[in-house]
This record gives sequence, structure tokens and C-alpha cells, in this order.
Amino acid sequence: MAPSLADYKTDVWVDWCPGCGDFGILAAMYKALAELQLKPEKTVIVSGIGCSGKIPHFVRVNGVHAIHGRAIPFAMGIKLANPDLTVIVNGGDGDLLGIGAGHLVALGRRNLDITVILHDNRVYGLTKGQASPTLEKNLRPKALPKPNIQDSINPIALALASGFTFVARGYTMMLDHLKELLKAAISHRGAALIDVLQPCVTYNDIHTAEYYRERVYRIEDEGWDPVVRNPVERQEKMLEALKISMEDEVRIPIGIFYQDSTKDTLEDRIARRLPSYLINPPAVQKIEDDGRPILTWEIFRKIFAAHFVESEPSL
Amino acid sequence: MRWLARNLQQRIRRGIMRSEICLIVGGPQGAGLETTAQLLTISLARLRYGVISDREYFSNIVGRHSYIHLRASSREIPRSLRYPVQLIGAMDAETVFTHFQDLEPGGIIVYDSSVENKVVDSIPSMERDLVSRLKRVLGELGLDGSLKSLVNYLSREENVVVAGLNYAELITRLASRVSLPAQQASRYVSAIVYAAIAAFLGLSESSINYAIESRFRGREQIISINKLIIGEVYRLIRGRYRSPVILAPSNLNHPELMVVSGNDVVAMGKIVGGLRYQSYYPITPAADESFFIEANERITWDGSDIASIVVLQTEDEIAAISSAIGAALTGARAATCTSGPGFSLMVEALGWAGMNEVPIVITYYQRGGPSTGQPTRGSQSDLLFALHASHGEFPRIVISSGDHLEAFYDAIEAFNLAERYQMPVIHLLDKFLANTIVAMPPPSLENVRIERGKLISESSGERKRFESADLVPPRYVLGSGAITWHTGDEHDEWGHIDEDPENRERMYRRRMEKMALADQEIPDEKRLSFYGGNDADVLLIGWGSVKGAALDAIEDLREDGIKAAYMHLRILSPFPTRLFRGVVEKFDPGSAIVVEHNYMAQLALLVRMITGVNIERSIVKYTGRPIYSSELVSGVKRILAGEGRVVLTHGP
Repeated sequence: MAPSLADYKTDVWVDWCPGCGDFGILAAMYKALAELQLKPEKTVIVSGIGCSGKIPHFVRVNGVHAIHGRAIPFAMGIKLANPDLTVIVNGGDGDLLGIGAGHLVALGRRNLDITVILHDNRVYGLTKGQASPTLEKNLRPKALPKPNIQDSINPIALALASGFTFVARGYTMMLDHLKELLKAAISHRGAALIDVLQPCVTYNDIHTAEYYRERVYRIEDEGWDPVVRNPVERQEKMLEALKISMEDEVRIPIGIFYQDSTKDTLEDRIARRLPSYLINPPAVQKIEDDGRPILTWEIFRKIFAAHFVESEPSL
Repeated sequence: MRWLARNLQQRIRRGIMRSEICLIVGGPQGAGLETTAQLLTISLARLRYGVISDREYFSNIVGRHSYIHLRASSREIPRSLRYPVQLIGAMDAETVFTHFQDLEPGGIIVYDSSVENKVVDSIPSMERDLVSRLKRVLGELGLDGSLKSLVNYLSREENVVVAGLNYAELITRLASRVSLPAQQASRYVSAIVYAAIAAFLGLSESSINYAIESRFRGREQIISINKLIIGEVYRLIRGRYRSPVILAPSNLNHPELMVVSGNDVVAMGKIVGGLRYQSYYPITPAADESFFIEANERITWDGSDIASIVVLQTEDEIAAISSAIGAALTGARAATCTSGPGFSLMVEALGWAGMNEVPIVITYYQRGGPSTGQPTRGSQSDLLFALHASHGEFPRIVISSGDHLEAFYDAIEAFNLAERYQMPVIHLLDKFLANTIVAMPPPSLENVRIERGKLISESSGERKRFESADLVPPRYVLGSGAITWHTGDEHDEWGHIDEDPENRERMYRRRMEKMALADQEIPDEKRLSFYGGNDADVLLIGWGSVKGAALDAIEDLREDGIKAAYMHLRILSPFPTRLFRGVVEKFDPGSAIVVEHNYMAQLALLVRMITGVNIERSIVKYTGRPIYSSELVSGVKRILAGEGRVVLTHGP
């Protein structure tokens, strides 16, 4: 029987602050999973630490609530060992762009088929409102004792420069738009990043729902076509996507910035070296036969032959 | 034949024929020293000699002094290195200066006569401390600091055979015969040194040709140039010198020997053990293991793939361990390998693996710390760190291997234990083992077993991954068809966050009690070994690569009339308390000595903490060079003469 939306929910109480932007992301995710009819047992949600980190417990698919900043490498090991699984990472802006930024960049380089959902509220919520890497310089959300003296990162530009082949931005209050972005990202073969703007109702009194309502616009409405149909178009599309991503805060673009299915994934690259990798990946390979290693002495002797020195026959 | 045998006996008695030999081959890093050592080891193994060799080098790509310290035996597979050496093969002047004090009187030096005028303080690659020590020594001998004065002195006063060959001239002359371009010719210095050593040791020409063919397999031109150069130098040495140290024919009867480094043999063990995901970030002295695995990532048999191993170089060690944990969650046997600085980065994720009962293996090659420390030198100073790394309390298994054979089996056993008890396993090794190349009898796979514990690879529906009915829960893996949750927070049986005090107590206790289960179940013989008799006057206690030196030392001590025994610890967590006490109680507590490559005598601290047994005497070494059996023997004698702690320092 096909799973319904309710089948993707657990009975764990969702303990975010009332009005939290994470509710929108969660709701969009339930819908996206249901519409894509993803099998819960073949889907894994991996998260880091913080408010967004709790998401796996609320979704009835496999959940891995990892450590701060490391959701991507956990997800990478899962996906590489079992490429049959659909792997979705949820992380906060501190998690993915602060402590774990190196892993985000590395995922882009690899173009492994993982979807990363960046919960972007510009503050560290669970530790009471410190500035996150997406908070602009000189701003002072209410918990900060002094205005922020560090510049903000542009997650879209970073993802593009790192090699992500699907880069988008959504807004948590535009649920259906976000759901469609999620579906497109999950369906995309390759590394996908969605920067999801979300108010933090408790600690961020600057980037409120009202703030976004006045600024957000959909790039597709202005005719942007993000799809790379031929590798020769990459440079042009990427430059334009970068340009859009650098628009001033007066207008905030959302939608798909860049989508390139012409680049090989890490799985493809591995499969070229290990021809049976995708058919018989590491997670399911047989390693023993009735408790004995499948690598018998005969095989051992052959594969490591270069290390063997036979005695001189005359001896 | 009887005449031949009698003649052989006489030559052994007269000291010309040696049942074993120790030698140093040295030169600047990047000049082909490893090739010399490989050729030498292969030709020795071809003639059935057991070989052990340590490589000492700086953290440097080209130019700094590197050397191979090798021991070959016709009677046994040697277990440790010792001084003095009987031969020094020097690619440059620095080698002679650095090592001449370790040469036995009547030994051999092969050196480059074209650098005879080099003076000890004119060699920029030499460290100032060594130069000033050498200037003092050479001054006391009345020498002017030149290589020439030194070799003349050694020849005159120490009866050393000094074989000065003009390397450049030899190469130029030989290169012209094979039309070798001049810029390539210098690469063949290592061939000259190899040829000279082989000639002095009395290795057969056929074994030399075998070594060349096997080392350069498939590269015909290189093979023929090497054969020419090596053959010429070999005959030149045989014609010009009478060797004072010929290696006696081997008494060993192995039909074949396996030539491997510690990194190689651990990689082989992991592959046999079913490793399917290996992640790593480059670090000395661990990275070679991952290269080896990557080179063997695809294993085919009868035309089909029987193993496809994913090896991933990650962006850092945090990603290395985190991705290995991810892979292990899917049921693949997963591991990472690293050294101290890398492990320091891994510890937070290690705690997650403990909390979520993930069977991962961390192969940990210790090097000198703290901080960057001595990146290319050995150490055993991370024992307490490996045992206690990461915040909070969680069970882990720590295995340490004493030699290549143990390392091979332990690499397999690490996975079995990890899966059986669902906890991280640290396989604690060191640089000494990593870079030590041995010619050893191949391991038997007869008794190797793969035990996957409570792995469940086919299931359905939501499952309690942390079911508490048994100490070790059923392990539903991602992709099995089950739906499971995992979190670094304290959790309930479903893997959902749960801070309830009763749940906390239950989950915490179950995790920790797995340690007691492992303690009960792991067979004694895998945990601790005892060598020697209960009537010994001295009990040495050690772990890891101390084993070889300790075993050789107790034999040598016996020849000096001292009865010594050795207790070797192989599993350090869970600590084999009962077995340990069983051994130590047979001895006078004052006769026990821990032997370790660290300052604090960490094993003694651990023993005191866990067993309450107080071992007050220690022999330690923290220079980064291995403990030599020769210095261990004198260390034991110093303890017997009343010293409480001996610090060993031998080795340049």
C-alpha cells in the first residue's frame, strides 16, 4: 500500500518553539516524501545538532541524529556504502556553514547524490541566540550583547563554487514552493543544497516573517532558467546564478539557482573503478562463507603475489 | 659433503661466517634508499634468511638523512633490532659520520670515495646537535673531521674493511655502456650500495638477479641497467675484498617468505577480514595502509568480483571517522586509519559510535607527540589517550599487536569484536611496526573466522535498535528494510531522545555492561601471553612493538645467567585483570619491570589503576627510535643493579 502523508510522521512530540520556521520545513518534507512515495525503509534523514538536529525523530524514515557539524560526513558514509538509500541531510546554518563548512565544500567537490537542507535562521537557537555565519555584519538580533562584527557567508555562492549540481533557496512560509524545491532536490542525481530561510521567533527579531514577506521573490517568475543542458553552458549559467545570489537584501531571490545533471556523481566515478559497486555495494557484499572469509588462501596468495618470495630452487 | 660442512663450521667458529648480521644502509631521503632495502630484503628472503628492518627518516621529502637498520638471520625470523652492526652501506658522507660509532670492530664500511674530503661540519643536512657531538668525538680521536681521516682511523684502529668506491665515476663508466643519460645515472647509487652489501654478505648472484627482476617487474630496460651495474660492482667487490662477515647458509626451511611492512600486513588483514569501507586523511605513518587497500580495492576471482572496497580520502579526520560510522550503520565492515593528531580530531565522533553501539575499527599508528611531535618517529605514548579519549563513559575495545603476524590476525579480530559487542575497536599500533619490513612465513588462514554478531540484514517495519532484552541488541542496519533511529543524545530503545532518569540508568548500564561481557568472553590467549618460566628472577611487562625486543632480551639475558620472563599484553581494554594478576602474583613484586616507548610508563599507571598492582620499575624510551634488544639487556642489568627507572636513548 502506498504510504500516505500520515505514514511519514512519528508520534514523537515536536518540541520547537511555537511559530518556529522549522515547522514549515518539516511540513514541506512530509509532503515531499509522500508525493515522491519514498520508501521509509530506504530513506535516511541525517542531521547535526541544534533545533534542526531533532528532525529525524519526527519523521518515520530511518533517522541518524549525528554530532555538530558532521551530518554530511555521516551521510556520505551511509550513501557510499549503500547507494540504494535516499539520503537527506538537515542542518542548521551554524552546523553546515560554521563548524561543518569544510564538509559542505567537500560534498560539492564529490557531487555525491545527497540532498542537504540548510535551516537558515541566522542565529544559534538552542544556545540562546548567538550570531550564525549567515548573520550580516553590524546587525544585532535581540540576544546579542553587541552588534555582529563578522561578515556573513552567502550559502548559494558557496555551494555553487564548491561544485553542488543543484542549488536552490526556499522560504519556510511558502510551503508549496519549498515542497517542490525539496522534491526537485531529492530527485536530482548529485549533491543538492537548499538554503531555507526561516524566522527564529525567539531569538531573531530582525529576520522575521514580515521581513521576508516584503523581500522574497521567485526567480522563476522573472524568467530564470537554471538548467544546464550541456556542459558548455556551465560557466555561463553559474556566473548568472552567482550574480542573482549576490542581490542586495532589499530583494531576496528564492527558487532553483542552478541545476546540472551533466556532471558525473561520485557513485559513477567509483563504479568506473569498481564495476559491481552499484549492483553489489559494500553494505550488502558477502564477506564470509559459513564463518570463513571469502578470501581463501588461494585468492590471498594470488592477489598479494608481489609480496611473496619463493626460496631459491637449488637450496 | 662432510668436508664442506666441517669447513663451514670452522668458518662460523672463526667468526667469518655469521649466523646473523645487522647492518645500516643510509643516505639522503629521496635517493633510492628504500629500493636498496627492498632489493636486499628480497634477495635475503630468496635465500631463506629471516629479515627484519626498520626505516628511520625525517619529516622531509628530499635531502635529510634516512637509514635502514636491518637484521638478517640464518636461524630464525628475527624479532628485534640490535647494535652494534657489522656493516654500514653509505650513500653519502653523512651516513658514515652518523653511524660509525655503531659499527663493530672488524666490520665493513662501503662508502663513496669521491666525498672523502667532506668535513663533518660542512654538511648542511646534519642537525647541529649531532654535528657538535661528533666534533667532540672526532676531536678526542685526534681526527680532523674529514671523512677520509675517519675511515683511515677505522681501518687502522678498528680493523674495519673500508670499501671506498667512487660512485660517480663508476656510474659514468657503466652508464656509457648502456647509453644511460647522465641525469638519470645518479639514481643508481642505491644499486651500487646494494651490490656492494650483497657481495660482502656473500649473497648469490642468482638471488640478486631474482631481486632485481621482482622489484622492477615488467620494466625491462631498468632491469637490464640494474643487472649490469649491480653485477659489475658485485664482481668488483668480490675480486677486491675478503669479507670479514659472510652470512652462513640459512637453516630455515620455509618454501616461501612474505615481505611486508606493518602497514601492508594490517591492510591485508583488513581485506581478509571483510573490510568494505575505508576512509582516511593523509598522515604519517598511517597513510600507506590506505594506499595498499586502494591498490587492492577490486578483488576478482574466476572472472567475477568478489570484493569491491570503497576507499575514500576525506577532507579531514573528522569526516574520515564520521563517514566510517555512516558506512558501518549500513552493515558494511568499515574502518579508518590514522595517527595521533588525526585521532585527536576523531574523538567526538568516537563517542557517538560508543553511544550508538556502532562497530567501527580505528587503526591507530602512534607516533611521537605531543602536537606535531616527531611525525616520522615511533612512540607508545597514546595508550592512556586511546583508552580514555572522548567525553563521557562508553565501552571500547583496545587491541595492540606485538609483531606483524599478530597485527594481521588482530586486524581481522578487530572487526569480529566490534560487531560482536557493537562498540568501537581501536587497533593500537605504532610507527615502528608500520615501517618495519619483515621477511616472514605467510600467515595461515586456517583458523580465521568472520563473526558478525547480531547483524540483521533483512527486516521490516519500525524496530528497536537499542532493545534492552540482552546486553547486545539485535543490529538492524540501514537498508535492511527496518526503520530505525540513532542519536548521540541519551535515547530509548527506539533511538529517540529520552532523558528520563530510569531510562538513562538502564541504557547507560546496558552499554557499560557489554564491557563486562567482552571481559568474560574474549579467550585468554587473545588477551595476554607469557613467555619464559615461572622461576624467572625478572619479569618484563610490555605491549605492542616492545614484544620483539623483550623476547630477544630474555634469551640474551639467559645466556648471561639471568632468568627473565616476558608478559605481553595484547588486549588493553577490557583489561585482562585476572590473567594479569595470575602471572604477576607468581613473581616478587620488586622483580617486575614495565618496558615502554613513553615517558610516564603508562602501562604501569594503567595496571595500578585497574588492578591495584604497583609496578615500580620501568625501562622507557622516548627518543622516537625503537628499543633495541641489546640496550634492553643492559637496561635490565641496570635495574638488577638497583636503578628504579632506566631511560634508553640508543640510536641516531
